[in-house]
Amino acid sequence: MEAQDSKGKIIKENFPSEMVSIVGDILAGIVLSLLIISFKSFILLILIIPALLSLRGNLSGPFIARTSRDFIIGEFNVKSWFENVMATFLLSLLTAFAIGIFSILMNFLLVKLYIFNIGLLIAIPVVSIVFTLSISIPCSTLLNFIAFKRGLDPNNVVNPMMTAIDDFFTIICFYLTIIMLGVP
Amino acid sequence: MDYFKKIFKESIIVVLISSVMGLFSGTLLSSNEQILASFPIILLVLPSLNSLTGNISTVLVSRLTSHLYLGTLSPKIKTSNRLKQDFYGLLITILLSLAALISIGYIIGIVTGIEIVNPLLIISILNVTVLILFGVMFVFLFIGSILLFRNGKDPNNYLIPIITSLSDFLTPLLIIIFIHIFIL
Repeated sequence: MEAQDSKGKIIKENFPSEMVSIVGDILAGIVLSLLIISFKSFILLILIIPALLSLRGNLSGPFIARTSRDFIIGEFNVKSWFENVMATFLLSLLTAFAIGIFSILMNFLLVKLYIFNIGLLIAIPVVSIVFTLSISIPCSTLLNFIAFKRGLDPNNVVNPMMTAIDDFFTIICFYLTIIMLGVP
Repeated sequence: MDYFKKIFKESIIVVLISSVMGLFSGTLLSSNEQILASFPIILLVLPSLNSLTGNISTVLVSRLTSHLYLGTLSPKIKTSNRLKQDFYGLLITILLSLAALISIGYIIGIVTGIEIVNPLLIISILNVTVLILFGVMFVFLFIGSILLFRNGKDPNNYLIPIITSLSDFLTPLLIIIFIHIFIL
């Protein structure tokens, strides 16, 4: 399938997904401004959000690419998918913990805001990324499956579309997490 | 659990470093807040622009990886018809998407009453930034994919996290540099 991909096919499959991504990201930015700006700890929270969005991209991007490749080369099965999911979750927990530690460090060095228990800076990224991936992983697997079954190249379609969906849910899950943890 | 171990072993360091880099992207934006606030349209389109460069790079890595596993791209650092199709397909996609992003950004800017400063120069800066990033990333990702694949590694696990964080950091950095050179 991929061997015959022309530049026309790449544009035709990729451009609409990019449009979904662009519109989704603009909406995510608007939702972010509306939901998070009212928090007293806004200046600290805004430090974590880019790292969290990066983490989401660093985890779900490769997860989606590995799933797409497994579909394309005919090696997709429940066992490989399960191992892919487990590895993604373990990586997310460890990295979110590291982001929490660095946030504490940056708060201590730069922001110097101590209006809540500083341990929450570890809990926020960990809980938030687990919520996000619990939505992202089933969604992206389903999209990969549908794209592949319809004869589209999942590499072209799924990642840009999932960026929009994931960024939107990262912000919603981040918001729900800080509400749940009682962050002022 | 071989697949799990391979993913975890190949990803852990690169995901940790890339995600922590997200904190530095946040710091870069905070420390140049005044410059970015002078051109509100840039603040509006920046998250989508980051996603766009990240998405195109992710699509490129996942396509190259699938080609290499399928054998439709030879693991040698040389140009081929397959590579040219990917280059032109993704270049046209990123330019079309950028045009759409700028149009949507300006429409939202006009509707919401955001101050529009020096639009032609800003559009030129955004175009030059995206073209430079695309050119550099294409070469880096192509060579990186070939070298990693030759060493028995999965390019998806290494390059996608690096490129996601790099594009989040380099996109605003280049824009800020160009604003300094051409406007301030």
